[in-house]
Amino acid sequence: MNFVLFHITVALYLLATFAYTSYLFSHNKKVSGISNKILVIGFLFHTVAIITRGVEAGHLPLTNLHESLSVFSWMTVVIYLSVNARYHIASLGSFVAPFALLLLITASFLPKEIVPLVPALESYWLYIHVPLAIFGNAFFAMSFLVGIMYLIQEHYLKSKKVGGLYFLLPSLDVLDELGYKCLTYGFPILTAAMITGAVWAEYAWGSYWSWEPRQVWSLITWFLYAALLHGRLTVGWRGKKAAIYTIAGFMILLGSFLIIKFLALGEHGRL
Amino acid sequence: MKKNEIESNQTIIDKAGNKIWNFFSSLKLIITVFLTLAVVSIIGTVIEQGKPPDFYTKEYGEKIAHYVLSIGFHDMYHSWWFLILLALLAANIIVCTIDRFPQKWETAIEKKYGAEPRFIKNLANSAHFTVSGDVHDIKIKVAERLKKKRYKIINADAADGASIYAWKGVIGRFGSDVTHVSLILILVGAIIGNFWGFRGYVSINENDAVNAPQADFKVRLDRFWIDYYNTGEVKQYNSLLTVIDNNKEILTKQIYVNEPLIYKGTWFYQSNYGVAYDRIREAQLILKNKKENKQIGEPFKVKWYEPFKIPGTNLTVNLVGFISDFGFDEKTKQIYARSLEHNNPAIAVVIYDGDKPISDSWLFLNYPDVFATIPNSDYNLTFMGYSGLYYTGLSVNNDPGTNIVWIGSILMTVGFIFAFMIFHKRIWVNIKRGENGVDIYMGGMINKNKILFEREFSELVESLKAKWEVGK
Repeated sequence: MNFVLFHITVALYLLATFAYTSYLFSHNKKVSGISNKILVIGFLFHTVAIITRGVEAGHLPLTNLHESLSVFSWMTVVIYLSVNARYHIASLGSFVAPFALLLLITASFLPKEIVPLVPALESYWLYIHVPLAIFGNAFFAMSFLVGIMYLIQEHYLKSKKVGGLYFLLPSLDVLDELGYKCLTYGFPILTAAMITGAVWAEYAWGSYWSWEPRQVWSLITWFLYAALLHGRLTVGWRGKKAAIYTIAGFMILLGSFLIIKFLALGEHGRL
Repeated sequence: MKKNEIESNQTIIDKAGNKIWNFFSSLKLIITVFLTLAVVSIIGTVIEQGKPPDFYTKEYGEKIAHYVLSIGFHDMYHSWWFLILLALLAANIIVCTIDRFPQKWETAIEKKYGAEPRFIKNLANSAHFTVSGDVHDIKIKVAERLKKKRYKIINADAADGASIYAWKGVIGRFGSDVTHVSLILILVGAIIGNFWGFRGYVSINENDAVNAPQADFKVRLDRFWIDYYNTGEVKQYNSLLTVIDNNKEILTKQIYVNEPLIYKGTWFYQSNYGVAYDRIREAQLILKNKKENKQIGEPFKVKWYEPFKIPGTNLTVNLVGFISDFGFDEKTKQIYARSLEHNNPAIAVVIYDGDKPISDSWLFLNYPDVFATIPNSDYNLTFMGYSGLYYTGLSVNNDPGTNIVWIGSILMTVGFIFAFMIFHKRIWVNIKRGENGVDIYMGGMINKNKILFEREFSELVESLKAKWEVGK
């Protein structure tokens, strides 16, 4: 059952991506409304798909890469929908929808079977640590997308070609603030994920910190974003510099994720 | 020494001190340290940590391995320069926090009332509108509105008007300080663990008790077992452990992956298991008639070191030895285990006729009836099977710094909530009797999240305007 729902979700996100793209070209406000509606319907199917899978598995569907990517995609959409509800930036959807779709398509190529929990995952911390980790990453993904929008908008302003996407994208100030806001959520959540992960590791491996690859990479990400936040708050790294840094930070995060996953390094290899 | 020489020495020390202080309080340093830590940590994940020197020679070749080993990239997280980086981070955090604190404290407790319109107009957010009514009455209404928004307020009356200072979320200013203290605590906890902590491993056979490493009590394994899913996959590894302190059984606990046993600060984790190579729980045997090679009676089970009287005979069997992979050295005539695998299981049994021992021999599972097991009798014993004895492998850990790390972690969470969710908002109001009525000047500031406040401030102004129907 969850597969059917999953594929309906993929189809709807694909449709939403087309709709948002046509919004970018048509500049028609109505189209953006329709795109949002399609995305919301897709999101509802996605929610039901995840719940159904959880019920079928008998545990939180966060135990392999297929499941985590699906939840990652879901959380990105959650963040977009709440941002849009407050700031009314439908053009952000043009970046979020394809991103969410890409995650789901990647997930669809991965092993999808529901497997029973291995002993190491048999813990309540699974229900706290993993969602936090994914949620934090979803905020970083969002800051990455906003960073790209910032660079595009900046390009329009610099080249003085006021046209194209210029009127659809929010102002540089709003984008800058939004990117920063994503970090102020992402960073504490990443920290919370690291702390809960440490507590779990203490119970499971006998040590809260063992320089395991995923731990080290999360620490690296933590250092990077800590540096960015300090640079922003006190030295005044703003605008383009912050946007480029945010994009680079997420690239590093994504790269480390893929390296650890596909070289199956450490105990985290399965997620 | 003359007086002014002392003074000039003093100024040199002061200058040097200032320079050092400035060096450690610079934000560039902390960003550099953060980035350096990030980069070297990347190297730490690329180069495998804690392997013997040969490994690196094989992996990277003589030359590079030499650099890796001499710089300490093979055990980076314990190398002196990594510790220096951490120390730099700590020094930097401490100096920065101390450096910035006094001014922050000033801003936080400062209660500026009696602000003039000129000051208010220069604030990041400001508004001016005119209403009609009594100054005092207006002041109370504005104050009420601000109180409703959970602002704390103080107000003052002047000859021709009144002023209000309203603020909330002061604690948000100290989020970074709390976070910095928490980070120092985590570092301290980690260092304590590094120097006074202990990590080890112990394996215990079922029904055996061993001394806990670096501790003054014993741990006994009562049972080890594996839970399976219906599909046959492993669900959980379990050990039932009993702590024996001073020859008393203190507590018994079932541990499994994710659920350790904790006693006197020492943690025992399920990490490994296996079947013992030198002991079994029980063996299944059959008594046979030597001449006809016919089974006599039912097969029976003999437990480890529990003499068993074979029904219908005068014989008693005692199971006294086991080797999982039986080997015999022709030269030394020694019996030994070839491996820990159960390739050639053999048991040693002593057989009694009544009270008199009549035989002491090895029986082989793979070679039944090859050797006469009870010489000078009509019987033969056949080794049919056995149930092995599990041992459990436990990681043992005693880290006195852990609790400090947890306190630091909780504090860090609190610090982040302060820093990222609570903002210091300040609003100044000046109410003055003017020519056309009463002028209200309002201005506000926030320490972060300017867009949020911009909106909140204009909503506040609009709601006040609506109250007096300004612009209608």
